[in-house]
Amino acid sequence: MKFSSYLIPLLIISLIIYSIYKKNNAYSSFVYGAKNSFDLVLTSFPYLVAIFVAVELFSVSGLSKVFGTILSPLFNLLGIPIELSELILLKPFTGCGSLAALENIFATYGVDSYLARCGCAIVGSSEAIFYITAVYFSQTKVKKFSYGIPVAFISMTLGIVTACLICKIM
Amino acid sequence: MNLVWISFLICGLGLLLFKNVDIAFSTLLSGSEKAIALSLKLWAIYAVWLGILKIVEDTGLNQKISKLLNPIIDKLFGKTDPNTQSEIAINLTSNLLGMGNACTPSGINAMKGFDKGSNIATSGMIMLLVINATSLEILPTTVIGLRVAAGSATPNDIILPTLISTFVSTISGIIMCKICEKFKKKAKQDIILDKKVYKQ
Repeated sequence: MKFSSYLIPLLIISLIIYSIYKKNNAYSSFVYGAKNSFDLVLTSFPYLVAIFVAVELFSVSGLSKVFGTILSPLFNLLGIPIELSELILLKPFTGCGSLAALENIFATYGVDSYLARCGCAIVGSSEAIFYITAVYFSQTKVKKFSYGIPVAFISMTLGIVTACLICKIM
Repeated sequence: MNLVWISFLICGLGLLLFKNVDIAFSTLLSGSEKAIALSLKLWAIYAVWLGILKIVEDTGLNQKISKLLNPIIDKLFGKTDPNTQSEIAINLTSNLLGMGNACTPSGINAMKGFDKGSNIATSGMIMLLVINATSLEILPTTVIGLRVAAGSATPNDIILPTLISTFVSTISGIIMCKICEKFKKKAKQDIILDKKVYKQ
């Protein structure tokens, strides 16, 4: 996949050319945007600590193995590697959590391994369903989501299964 | 989330009590250390990417994409008032571009626009929820950045697999939403019909 390596640099070059055409000060925009990263990191940091502490306990205590054996028939059926169970369990609840689990997978199995690539595709294929539901509906009176959650869950699972299949081929 | 976190902690610490008490506290600390390391990596990624996204915003490119999305929004959400429609457009555009911090406020506003005081979610709300939950991001920049930081030889290799799997999850979500919508409408009509027949 040589093409994909060119994608991001080419996009940035065309964006900067467009910015010149629009007579926009790209430099000051970039600086202003980069400044916002500080807030973003600060707000996500406490969540990352909470998740990492829980995940670390989960794997060190051997709980992940217990869960792994319980879930393995289901995962086998869907063609999902059992090593990714931690990631998939955290995924619906928190975006930070799945990044934390992904980092652990990188460290244990190597970034370019099948498991790591699979994990990357899974992280990109869906978001934290419960988190989004809670936040998006926070200012409405809605209490019943009828078919919303099941549909989101089924499509997330389909995305995960696809990710595992595709990464096996590619 | 609270429940999940509590059960992770209690089960994990509980098991360690029996297995190896000595490492209990050091496990907590090493978790926190990892969080700091990841935060630093994320900071580098966010700084570059938010800078680039700000250029996108300042050149007005995101508004152009929003306009392109309008016909699709009409098809997916049915008729909505123009205000809600533009909120949905902003939400979807920021989703596509991976501007995580921009899609939440617009998503909340769009939900408010759909709100008619009932406690049951409308089909439009559910569609928005499902589309957001299944992710629309075209470029998984955060994940690519993490791969770079971890020393990957081919960090960009995951763009295509991610695109395909997010496409599958989003499209299947939309299709299922549409099917459920039709089912519900039909069920409602049946009830109304039943009532009419009953009255007669």
